[in-house]
Amino acid sequence: METALPQPTWLSRLNAVWAPPAVLDFWLSRLNPLWSWHQTRARVVERRLEAEGVTTLVLRPNRHFRGFRAGQHVNVGIEIDGVRYTRSYSASDMPRADGCIRITVKAVDGGKVGAYLQTVPVGRVLSLDQAFGELSVPDVSAPCLMLAAGSGITPMLALVNAQAEAGFPRPVRLAYWARTRAELVQAKSLRAIATRHPNFSVYFVLTGEAAQATDELQGRIESLHLDTLLPGDAKAHVLVCGPHGFVERAREVLADRDLSFQAEAFSPPPRLIDASDHGHVRVTLLQSGRTLDIARNKSLLEALEEQGVRPRHGCRMGICNTCSCGKSSGATRALHDRSVQHEPTQALRLCIHAAQSDLSLDL
Amino acid sequence: MPKINSRALSPEELNRFGEELDALRARTVATLGQRDADYIRRIMAGVRWLGLGGRVMLMAGAILGGTVLPALLWPLCILGTVLLGLSKILENMELGHNVMHGQYDWMGDPALHGQSYEWDIVGTSDNWRKTHNYSHHTWTNVRGMDDDIGYGLLRIFPEQRWKPFYLIQPAIAVVFAVLFEWGVALQDLRIGRWFAGKMSGRTLWKMATPVVKKIGKQVLKDYLLFPLLAGPFFLPVLLGNIVANVIRNIWTYVIIFCGHFTADAEVFPKESVRKESRGHWYLRQLRGSSNLTGGRLINLWSGNLSHQIEHHFYPDVPANRYAAMAVEVREICARYGQHYNTGSLPKQFGTVIWRILRHAFPSRPGPARPLVAAG
Repeated sequence: METALPQPTWLSRLNAVWAPPAVLDFWLSRLNPLWSWHQTRARVVERRLEAEGVTTLVLRPNRHFRGFRAGQHVNVGIEIDGVRYTRSYSASDMPRADGCIRITVKAVDGGKVGAYLQTVPVGRVLSLDQAFGELSVPDVSAPCLMLAAGSGITPMLALVNAQAEAGFPRPVRLAYWARTRAELVQAKSLRAIATRHPNFSVYFVLTGEAAQATDELQGRIESLHLDTLLPGDAKAHVLVCGPHGFVERAREVLADRDLSFQAEAFSPPPRLIDASDHGHVRVTLLQSGRTLDIARNKSLLEALEEQGVRPRHGCRMGICNTCSCGKSSGATRALHDRSVQHEPTQALRLCIHAAQSDLSLDL
Repeated sequence: MPKINSRALSPEELNRFGEELDALRARTVATLGQRDADYIRRIMAGVRWLGLGGRVMLMAGAILGGTVLPALLWPLCILGTVLLGLSKILENMELGHNVMHGQYDWMGDPALHGQSYEWDIVGTSDNWRKTHNYSHHTWTNVRGMDDDIGYGLLRIFPEQRWKPFYLIQPAIAVVFAVLFEWGVALQDLRIGRWFAGKMSGRTLWKMATPVVKKIGKQVLKDYLLFPLLAGPFFLPVLLGNIVANVIRNIWTYVIIFCGHFTADAEVFPKESVRKESRGHWYLRQLRGSSNLTGGRLINLWSGNLSHQIEHHFYPDVPANRYAAMAVEVREICARYGQHYNTGSLPKQFGTVIWRILRHAFPSRPGPARPLVAAG
């Protein structure tokens, strides 16, 4: 949520003495909740229903947001019942002149954030990170094939819009998998673009309904689809976005037919090894760039020490908070009550939590 | 003074005692949510508004009082100083101290993040997190492990070895109260070790660098930049800042000394914490801590250190919950035959003063009050 600040000048240093960023932010956000000295935030300026359980939000970021490219995503932070949750969403439209970023959010079963964003009031201010992600249409004249499944459509929408803006300098074909027609997002506008631009075509692939229209196919991704999508022995630059399984299957199906292969998979749900505490998990230490396997049957602090890592620590009993460090992904288990925590956090106490799945720690 | 009769617990009783207190914690933590978030944000807003009000009043008093309305000089400056002092007290105690314990880390709000919060006092947050969060809270009132016992300056307990130096401690205690924030700033540097030749000047300087930086910032802010804003009328602003800091120093000193140095508070030998069980740790926290009665007002302005016992049981649970938890804690303590040390601020601080006076002179510890029953 913090942007890299320019090298501090003596003036900004002096400024920080008068009013440290935390104090300044307090007053700035009193004037306007969007304003901040150093944090990227965004205001919801528009909300519209796209399809069943799918909503598009238009976000106007503050001046700290450094912009984005079509195909990138942003981390959006919201607060529910006093707790901040962060989720990653792809921009679902290319950058526009208004400087806003559009995200399209699906409510997933049991997902707090997706559900909250379906009804987030216009005017609400959310926290926002800088955009990231490498998905892009290669800047060559060879054709491009985009495969999207479910919410994987969002970065493709942005990329298609950006291509449309440029007049499709290369042939682009999009295949969009969904369970039912009702779940399709922006089908109408995609069809309209296809009508306007001979260099663009779109196919809707349904897995829970029969295909009817000429631009509809059905069934899970398989080689058969390639007869339509990549006829003959044509090759294309391939962009895939969807759940893990979809991306992996696409990789198999398209082997030998891709000029290049870019994929983005939704982060798989934390892999919960059985409820017992045997075995090892893989821990990535983000600051030191190390990856190691540690035991699950002891506190993270002990398990890391066993591997020669010496995190800062104090009481070793969960009261002094010295060992608390950030966790960006993975699940942990509290040793005193065996409760499992999936959410990323900025403060995980290593001495009273054990690894429950693979983890990324801020160490 | 009534005789304190906390009985020694058997190891099984200690376990159950610990389990009951753990269960209370779990019940409380399970209900953390919006109202706790709202509470701490209200506190932060209170700190900011009081601070702004104080600084504006001081400035107005100095400038208006120095030019057109001399009659306003004193009233405005006094009001400004008091508001600024209150802002600093609230910031140090209910906001900073509690946030730095990680009490609000569950919110995930970077402005309330325990590891990175920096408070408005000359001491650095990093040193505090070490001397206080770790040493003091883990080894509360254990001789040789908790530096907060007398802060290396005072003899509070007869168990501390008497030296002739302690004869002047009543005077030292007063100076220490006025300069308390400086004591906090220097505590972790252990300058005494450098004087004694046990630490090289280079090591001391390395440790001192962040402290000197923080001191520089605070001095620059309170004693240079804000006074200079008033231009030629800087003097009242400067004095107001000094007095506000001293008010805060004395108040925090009083509250903190009431936490562990009251008549019934106990100290423990190092041997007692070897292989300490959870239940034993709880019991030691109870015996070494003391509360203040006085209701919501004293809870707020003491940063809920009026619930020192609950704070030491649950240093990472949001302090706004201590008052409710205290009801159950008292009941649990009563069932296990443990004295729950509480009293009004004058009464508790009175016993602290008595300790400082009494133990300036040689004194001998009373009979030991064991935590664990033999057998």
